[in-house]
Amino acid sequence: MEQKLTDLALIQNILNGQTDQYALLVKRHQRFVFTLALRFAKNREDAEEIAQDCFVKAYKALGTFKQTAKFSTWLYTITYTTAMTFLRKNRLDTSSIHDEGTFLQLENHSSAFNANGYDKQDSHAFLNIAIDELLPDDAAIITLFYKGEQSLEEIGAALHMEPNTVKVKLHRARQRLKEKLQYLLKDEVKELL
Amino acid sequence: MNATEQQLWDYIDGNLNASDRKNIAEKIESDTEIKSLYEDLLKLNSAFGELDLDEPSMSFTRNVMESVASEPAPVAMKTQVDKKIIYGIGGFFVISLLILFGYVLYNSDLSMPEFNFNARLNLNLDKYITPTVLYSFLFFDLVIGLVFLDQFLRKKMHK
Repeated sequence: MEQKLTDLALIQNILNGQTDQYALLVKRHQRFVFTLALRFAKNREDAEEIAQDCFVKAYKALGTFKQTAKFSTWLYTITYTTAMTFLRKNRLDTSSIHDEGTFLQLENHSSAFNANGYDKQDSHAFLNIAIDELLPDDAAIITLFYKGEQSLEEIGAALHMEPNTVKVKLHRARQRLKEKLQYLLKDEVKELL
Repeated sequence: MNATEQQLWDYIDGNLNASDRKNIAEKIESDTEIKSLYEDLLKLNSAFGELDLDEPSMSFTRNVMESVASEPAPVAMKTQVDKKIIYGIGGFFVISLLILFGYVLYNSDLSMPEFNFNARLNLNLDKYITPTVLYSFLFFDLVIGLVFLDQFLRKKMHK
């Protein structure tokens, strides 16, 4: 059985001329980079553009990657800066969770929920809705912490923030998610989870 | 968010020191309200961990590989100057200056007859400083200057 190469081994091979192995690195990280991009862009087309741009930038700069850190952390830093550039360029709406429009949207989701009942899949769907309504930074921190296996220090490095700021934002994001789920699901949040 | 809830999240994340951890564990055991809150947060925590990642389109990897195909292949930056070379160059200049200083002192007459300061520096370097030596020295300086400039620009680029 073929042993799975580590990120660093793959990078070494790419730098030694086996550039086709970059496809393996892309495949390995594309879901996470895309999800992270989606936290900022809010629609799939833009998120895909950001994610693609991120991988092209990473390829060009692969020679400068200091192999003392995790490749994923370095990649997420590129994703974050690429997404920020994209947002600035396209002036996308990054509305706060407290915006009135947000609550109107959620009310609709809530009605749909009450009408149709729920299962485990719904719990994920409602969580995703709630995450989508967070501020982009908070949504990215939740994603990096729970799905990216990144420490507070690594998240800080990726998002250019102090670890303590990341910790405060993480607490705030979780609190908002909890409130959001309670709002969405009324008293049934415990049953759903 | 109240302080207890924040402490409970820190407890779940494993960010507390031993004594705080013990305190919170005791509170969870003794206080039913805190225990109930802790159980809710644990459920939320596991729900966050079970979230699925989104999948990009099927052609994503192919699109990326097509985009990078026109780019030059990445290469490792191995042009960092060895520190020994830097120290070697520094040492060369220090020794050169010391030799020059010693030569000047050796060939100087620093006596002061009748309190008249009449130091005569007998420096005859013409036979040593030929145009070839001068050009070699300048060329050497130019090379060192370029090495330092390269290093400086690389550092700036990394920032």
